[in-house]
Amino acid sequence: MTEPFTLDVREMLRSGAEPLPKILQAVGDLAPGQPLRLLATFEPLPLYAVLGRKGFDHSAVRHGEGDWEVLFSPHAADAGPGAAAAAAVPRPSTDEWPRPSAFLDNRGLSPPEPMMRILEALEHLAPGQVLEALNEREPVFLYPELQVRGAAVRTERVGEGVRLLIRCAG
Amino acid sequence: MATLSNRVSRWTLLLFACALANFLAAQGLILVGMTWPARAVSAPGTLAAVHLLVIGWLLLLMLGALFQFVPVITSRPLASQRMALWALIGIEAGLGGMICGFFGIAVSPVLAMALPAGATAVLLGVLAASWNLGVPLIRARPLRLPGRMVLTGLVFLFVTVMLGLSFALAFTVPALAPYLAPLLNAFGDHALAGLGGWFTLTAMGVSYKLLPMFMLAPEDRGIPGDCVHILGTLGFALAVAAGVAQVWVAAGFLRIAQSTGYGAITIAVAIYLWDIRRIYRTRRRRVIEVHNRAAVGAFGLLALGAALAISSLGTGRPEAGAPVGVFLIVFGWLGGLGLTQLYKIIPFLTWLGRYGSRLGRASVPRVQDLVRERRGGPWFVLYFAAILLGGGFALSGSALGFRSCMALVALATVGLVTEYWRAWRGHYARAHQSETAIPPFIANPRG
Repeated sequence: MTEPFTLDVREMLRSGAEPLPKILQAVGDLAPGQPLRLLATFEPLPLYAVLGRKGFDHSAVRHGEGDWEVLFSPHAADAGPGAAAAAAVPRPSTDEWPRPSAFLDNRGLSPPEPMMRILEALEHLAPGQVLEALNEREPVFLYPELQVRGAAVRTERVGEGVRLLIRCAG
Repeated sequence: MATLSNRVSRWTLLLFACALANFLAAQGLILVGMTWPARAVSAPGTLAAVHLLVIGWLLLLMLGALFQFVPVITSRPLASQRMALWALIGIEAGLGGMICGFFGIAVSPVLAMALPAGATAVLLGVLAASWNLGVPLIRARPLRLPGRMVLTGLVFLFVTVMLGLSFALAFTVPALAPYLAPLLNAFGDHALAGLGGWFTLTAMGVSYKLLPMFMLAPEDRGIPGDCVHILGTLGFALAVAAGVAQVWVAAGFLRIAQSTGYGAITIAVAIYLWDIRRIYRTRRRRVIEVHNRAAVGAFGLLALGAALAISSLGTGRPEAGAPVGVFLIVFGWLGGLGLTQLYKIIPFLTWLGRYGSRLGRASVPRVQDLVRERRGGPWFVLYFAAILLGGGFALSGSALGFRSCMALVALATVGLVTEYWRAWRGHYARAHQSETAIPPFIANPRG
């Protein structure tokens, strides 16, 4: 298996700098099939969606307060010999669902604002497209509205919050 | 994957409306001088007002909230939506019967029979509600802290109602009086089981969910939360069981058990209040809404009411401070917390029912657009200040001062009910909305 490339952005985050350009630069520089090992001060949930669209799975380990290690591994189809390890990372089943076309970070918002943002975002998606959203908690009042709109939803606990995949009807 | 199902309780707003009407009726009885402190604690007017408060106001309020809240915390539907209506009918009709019975005891034995008949109807209503709530709670095990506290509260509710029914039978059925009459000495334990084991533990459990949810604080309360639940449960159970047992056996160890129970309750309340302070301090939402700012008044009066009630019980002279402690707990802690949370729950449910289907498709007002916090806030200040002052007057024995404060409490309650009404009617939301249709009290099947 190809050795992961390690990128430590903890100092950047502590100093208030935006590490995303550096992370994307590092991803661009990876060898085919090479994973990225990211060290951060929090679980970088929005990055999962960004790198997911680029064909990376993730597995996160929290070593302590403000100390996270996340391994981004290329998908089996995109990867070389090291793919088996990445494929072994447990992931929620996504069957035939396409990759998310839009992403919403609803953390830090109190109910019912996450629900309002999700329903608004869904109106801008084409039938069959998927929205990914990160919420503080399970949006129980959203479900009946999704049902009425014929949208399907998958929910997964991620750390303290909830990750939702919502597929538009059609 | 989460199950898709209807999550809006059909009868909750109707239960809230009945509860508020009973609350105002009870305040009316106090204002016209038919109750303590102008009359005795056991006077028919006092008994009628107390049961209007605890059954008519607090029980219906709590059940209305739980019919909405339990499906949210368990991700499971109620056993039956219709059962919530039967619970309301049983409890409301039973309460009417009990009030007739309280006044009828001195008039005729036939009228007095309305008391056990009413208590039986309340029991049936409570059983219907408990089944409705118990089924999703039990199916959702293992429960998190709020669910566990609600389930514990339901057990105490059953104990409270059974004790109350025994009193009603002892008063009115001569054949049973020799067996049940001694139980009348345990009316303090009936109150402790109801106000403490049922209402307080349940309100604590609900607050452990609602406060972090709207203030964005950690929901997991860890060991302090478990301590509140375990110590509170053991404390109320021990104090009530030992108190009831002393009706028949005057043993020293029972008095020690009772005092141990009071001690455990005190520690549980202290940890709870400390933990609530921690929720406020660790919240990520800096600016909080008026319902959570006003709730601080309820937490403060819990501290004061519990300290007064327990210290007077502990000194063996409950008649001095216990009624005032109970007043602060009923009006300040439980009633106050209820009024503050209604200021959020009513607009929230109204908003869901009215705008849910149009979210994302058309411009809709936000939940906070359904209320005017500048209007609601002063009523909460008046309410809590009048309760505090009223407690002071009651303690000093001034019935006139107490009733004057109760007039202010009634004014504040009417002010708040008006604000709930305006939120439900969409009074403040009209600036955002052209339609004027009024939503039904009874949520439609989709909410």
